[in-house]
This record gives sequence, C-alpha cells and structure tokens, in this order.
Amino acid sequence: MSRILAITILLILAFFFFSAVKLDYGHMHSALSEYYITHGVAETGALNMVTAIYLNYRVYDTLGEATVFFASALGVFMLLRKGGEGESDA
Amino acid sequence: MHRISPIVKIFTRKLFPFILLYGCYLISHGHLTPGGGFQGGVIFGSAIILLGLVEGVKLTENRFKEDFLSLTKNIGMLIFILLGFVGMFLGYSFLSDFLPRGEVGTVPSAGFILFLNLTIGFMVGTGIAVIFYRTVRHEP
Repeated sequence: MSRILAITILLILAFFFFSAVKLDYGHMHSALSEYYITHGVAETGALNMVTAIYLNYRVYDTLGEATVFFASALGVFMLLRKGGEGESDA
Repeated sequence: MHRISPIVKIFTRKLFPFILLYGCYLISHGHLTPGGGFQGGVIFGSAIILLGLVEGVKLTENRFKEDFLSLTKNIGMLIFILLGFVGMFLGYSFLSDFLPRGEVGTVPSAGFILFLNLTIGFMVGTGIAVIFYRTVRHEP
C-alpha cells in the first residue's frame, strides 16, 4: 500500500517537474515587466532595475525584510548573553 | 590555541579600511551599479568579523564597541520607518519618494533610494557584527 502511495506521489511530482521544465521562462513578458523596463528609469531615477523595484515599487516588502532582520538580530542579542544568572542587559 | 601568522595579521590591518570603503561604495552606489544596502552592509559587517577573527574579539571591541554598534542598528531601523512617515507628512503615501531627482546616472539621481540604502546598509552591517560578537562570546 505504501509502495503504491510512494509511486503515485513520485509520478505527480515528476509531472509537476516536467511541466515546469517545459515552461519558457526567458520569453514570458507580462505587462508588468514591460512597464518596469520602459518606465522604470524615468519614474524612479535608478539605473539598477533591481534597486528600483525593491526600494521604490516594492518598498513595503523591503520594510518587512528589514524588520525580519532587525528582529532576528535583536533575538540573538537578547538570548546569547555573556553567561551568569542575574546579569541581564538589553 | 593556534597563533595567527603575522602575514595574515598585517594584511588584515592593511586591508581593513579598503574593505570598509568598498562596503560604503556598494551602499552609496546601490541604485547605479549591482549591489545595494544589504550587500554593502554584509561586506561592512564581514570586515569587522575579519578583524575580530584575526585580532581577537577583545581588541576589536575596544575600537568597535558593541553598545555603539547595537545603537546604530536600532537607529538605522528607526530612520527607515521615520523616512516613510516624512513622506506621509508631506502629502504623499507612506514610504513614497518625496525628494527631487538629479540627473540619471549620478549619485543623487534616485532621491529617496539613496537614504533607504544607507539606513539598510548600516543596519545590516552593525547587526551582523553584533550577532558575531554575541555568538563568539557566548558561554553556555
């Protein structure tokens, strides 16, 4: 029974894999990517298109990333103290 | 404990300011060339980590105090959010570009992006250095 289940899952995964391989990623132009390429420099002033997207069009995402990094650094800062029971510094 | 070879020590001391300079370049030119706040910040932090590995954490801490680095990290995050609110007070939406733009291809061309890159860069660099200090000095 478990063997049949494994083979079924494997076949489904293989189907997903091969259908993903067949996709033509390099030539998929959506309207949004066309818009970024044609209007990006004029609207943001940044020549680096990656920066133009992650610090202007998608800046909320970057705010989230920065918050995640800040929280993780703060977590390490709080958890890894220099030893000792009562000693605490924040 | 292994002694570190003098070649490594001397080269680290000579290279250290140039690594910092390269990090600053990547941060400040993030909107013109490949790179940006996160990448430049990581280079900034790895320079401090290199100094800590070679010279020892004690000597490095004399120059780059952990409290100061932690404060810079907190202030970087605060300025990021405050920059968003400045845009709001000037009549735009939250985190929208409110600065005038220069000629495309020069450093002040992108207005607001440069300052966001600066805050992210200093936050990431000092944050990584603080994580390094805490992990190295940790005594379970």
